[in-house]
Amino acid sequence: MEIFLQQLINSLSVASVIILIGIGITLIFGLTGIINFAHGEFLMIGGMTTWLVVSHGGGFLLGAAAAVAVVGALGFVLERSLFRLTLDRPMNGFIISLGLIVVLQHVVIRFWNSYQKAIPQPLASVWEIGGVRIVAMRAAVVLITAVVVAITFFAISRSRYGLALRASVADQETAALMGVPVRRYITGVFIYGSALAGLGGAMMIALFPITPFIGSVIVVRGFAVALIGGLGNVAGAVLAGLVLGLMDGLSAGYGLPEWTEAYSFALMILILLLRPQGLLGGTAGPKAI
Amino acid sequence: MDLAKTESLDLPQAEPAKGGSVGAPRLTWMERAIVPAGVFLLLIGLPWLHPGYRLLSLAVSTGVNTIALCGLAILFGQAGIMSVGHAALMGVGAYAGAILARDLDMSFWAALPCAALLAAAVAGLVGLPSLRVGGHHFVIITFALCGLFTIVLTNGGAFTGAATGLDIAPIGTVFGVNFSKLQNLYLLAAAFVLASIGLMRLVMTSSYGRTLRSIRENETLAAALGVNVGLHKIVAFMISGAFAGVAGLVQVYFLQHISPDLYGAFPSVYIALMVMLGGPRMLLGPLMGAFIVTFLPEVLNLDPIDARIAYGVGLILVILLLPGGVMAGLAHLYLSCRRCVVRS
Amino acid sequence: MIALEVKGLRKTFGGVVALDGIDLAVGLDDIVGIVGPNGSGKTTLFNVVTGALKPSAGSVRWLGEEIGGMAAYQIARKGLVRTFQQAMSFPALTVRENALIAHEHGARSGTRAVVPDALLRFVGLDGREDEIAGSMPFGNLRRLGLALALAARPRLLLLDEPAAGLNDSETEQLAGIIRRLPGLGVGVCLIDHDMNLMTSICQRLIVLDFGAKIAEGRPEDVLNDRKVMEVYLGAPT
Repeated sequence: MEIFLQQLINSLSVASVIILIGIGITLIFGLTGIINFAHGEFLMIGGMTTWLVVSHGGGFLLGAAAAVAVVGALGFVLERSLFRLTLDRPMNGFIISLGLIVVLQHVVIRFWNSYQKAIPQPLASVWEIGGVRIVAMRAAVVLITAVVVAITFFAISRSRYGLALRASVADQETAALMGVPVRRYITGVFIYGSALAGLGGAMMIALFPITPFIGSVIVVRGFAVALIGGLGNVAGAVLAGLVLGLMDGLSAGYGLPEWTEAYSFALMILILLLRPQGLLGGTAGPKAI
Repeated sequence: MDLAKTESLDLPQAEPAKGGSVGAPRLTWMERAIVPAGVFLLLIGLPWLHPGYRLLSLAVSTGVNTIALCGLAILFGQAGIMSVGHAALMGVGAYAGAILARDLDMSFWAALPCAALLAAAVAGLVGLPSLRVGGHHFVIITFALCGLFTIVLTNGGAFTGAATGLDIAPIGTVFGVNFSKLQNLYLLAAAFVLASIGLMRLVMTSSYGRTLRSIRENETLAAALGVNVGLHKIVAFMISGAFAGVAGLVQVYFLQHISPDLYGAFPSVYIALMVMLGGPRMLLGPLMGAFIVTFLPEVLNLDPIDARIAYGVGLILVILLLPGGVMAGLAHLYLSCRRCVVRS
Repeated sequence: MIALEVKGLRKTFGGVVALDGIDLAVGLDDIVGIVGPNGSGKTTLFNVVTGALKPSAGSVRWLGEEIGGMAAYQIARKGLVRTFQQAMSFPALTVRENALIAHEHGARSGTRAVVPDALLRFVGLDGREDEIAGSMPFGNLRRLGLALALAARPRLLLLDEPAAGLNDSETEQLAGIIRRLPGLGVGVCLIDHDMNLMTSICQRLIVLDFGAKIAEGRPEDVLNDRKVMEVYLGAPT
């Protein structure tokens, strides 16, 4: 039982990181129809930024803040210069993201080589509660993610900006006709999603070492989460992230750990076959390809 | 309906066309034939130019990619379906070849149809549930497929050689031709390349190609006019899989050693990159794409990391500025020059 | 001879009832018109009948065969062909290639195939076979849409607002084309808002409101029906 709880908490922390990028992906994808595979690289750059700051003497908090700022800015720049040009042909946006993956990865490798990067654990303590060992850092990651999710959720469901966003996701043309400045929301969503990815990267490097290649491993999970939960549906992304995280943890602890990734793939196929709009229902994207 | 009963309807002429709508000035028959003819001569004649071992090896790699790219050009250039799982399908062909050689003593030639059919079958299996839910989902599924494929291979134990991979003996001698000699292997690969380009062209100019293009252009309209869109998409994917399977088989007999990382997500991204760069709807697009990404940087001795950064940037520029790929850009350039010459 | 028979057709989207038990019969010699205010379910009716949507309840019979729930391409191949409100074409292909697609994939049996070029001449697009469809002006795209539907060898044509966006003389030409179709073996059922057009070519008019049929009969009778006038103009004070 203790082992189960421990696995649960461990997988929750990984799930948290995936939820962070899943939210960004589901919002961006749901609103623009653009599949930005480079989103995983955003996470990587967030982690690298944190590592850079920490290895030059800054604290972890500074590193995490820098990650959020840098990646958020990166998302803004990319949206303005590149993705904006592909809004009427989302498939081109996808292809550009493939190019971006290659560029971002290799620019990082060029300047900072391709080996693993790690930082000292920001919170080194391990708590013992009722026989369960909880690594404080993991709990912190879960907590931070929970706060971010709560903020996102409230913003989307209670604020008028959230309402306008949801309207745009459901029907972009009509929302525009109603006066919603959709372009600005697209930029905003890109910035927010990227910032979340940056935060995810900081969280990730706080838990494990990372390499410049970690982006493409993570990004599939992020898209799986978005698809399974329902495109454009933040609650869906959270739910899907929790389910996947749970499956991961159970598989690592009890099942065959080498097949862990296969489970999320199988789940994704299953959802596509039985309920293509996702667990909680989402949009098909502004222009179904 | 019996239009024979119609007298001429006496309709006033339809509205005049907007300028330039008959299509850009076309190349003449001779102009269209000359570059491909030159390229094919070069392809076949390469060994006699004494390129050296390294360049010839590179040429074989380029050829292998070209074969796979022709299949992707049919899938994406004609049917409009994007896939980033092509490397996994190549892997199916490659591993099939290696395993059949090891367990059933099958030669390259016997394994050829098997590799093609198996890769096509895998494509069909994957395509069946995922093609009907739309392009977004399909793309993500193909990307995940690569990851899954790598996992299956790595966990396959002795059967798939796990992480270390599998070895295979070279093709051996057939009809007195010794295929362990690189030169002969190159010519074999070149023959396959020519066959692939020829097949691709056949599809492009046939009514089947036109059907695929109708699906690309307007799926709803195609279905409303009687096109079985679902079936055609799956068949197109399977055809592209067959090309990839053959490419993989040639590759395994060339490298004589394969491992899972050759067929994962990154190689698939590079393959998609190649077809975009070269031009997915052009005859020489696949070859050009493979050439730019596989051959050129090695020949120019570029630092591999810089080269990759260049591809990524190149891809982005091509998408934004040259939607038809490099080949289409070159064709336009030629047409502009021709117009200038004609005027002066 | 009744070719298309719709009985009690219902279509709901979640809580919204788009079609509320529609009965409809169209013969191969008919020109039947469907009118009604926006949102009355006219295009939804076409969508369900031609397989773009699945019916929630009720039956659709074509030439005696139940086709409710069949795929769109199968229904098209049986000779029940529709056009779309938007001017749909295959933009990057030439006009002739557009027609060839319909020609190759359309109905298999029953009607004699017509060479696509003859059809293009029939709608007035001769001389433009090599033009790229996507660069054509709207009026020509409309003609192309009609030619495509005809090239699929229909026995019954469902035209969705064929006159939308056409001026008076173009509408006249359209009327001329439609009037000839029953004589050539193709029945017509069309949706439109142009009442002049509808009264001049339709033998029978059906009025829909909120997904239900509220009137059916000769155009003059239907348009003077009190219920119909209320629906369009509001109840008299």
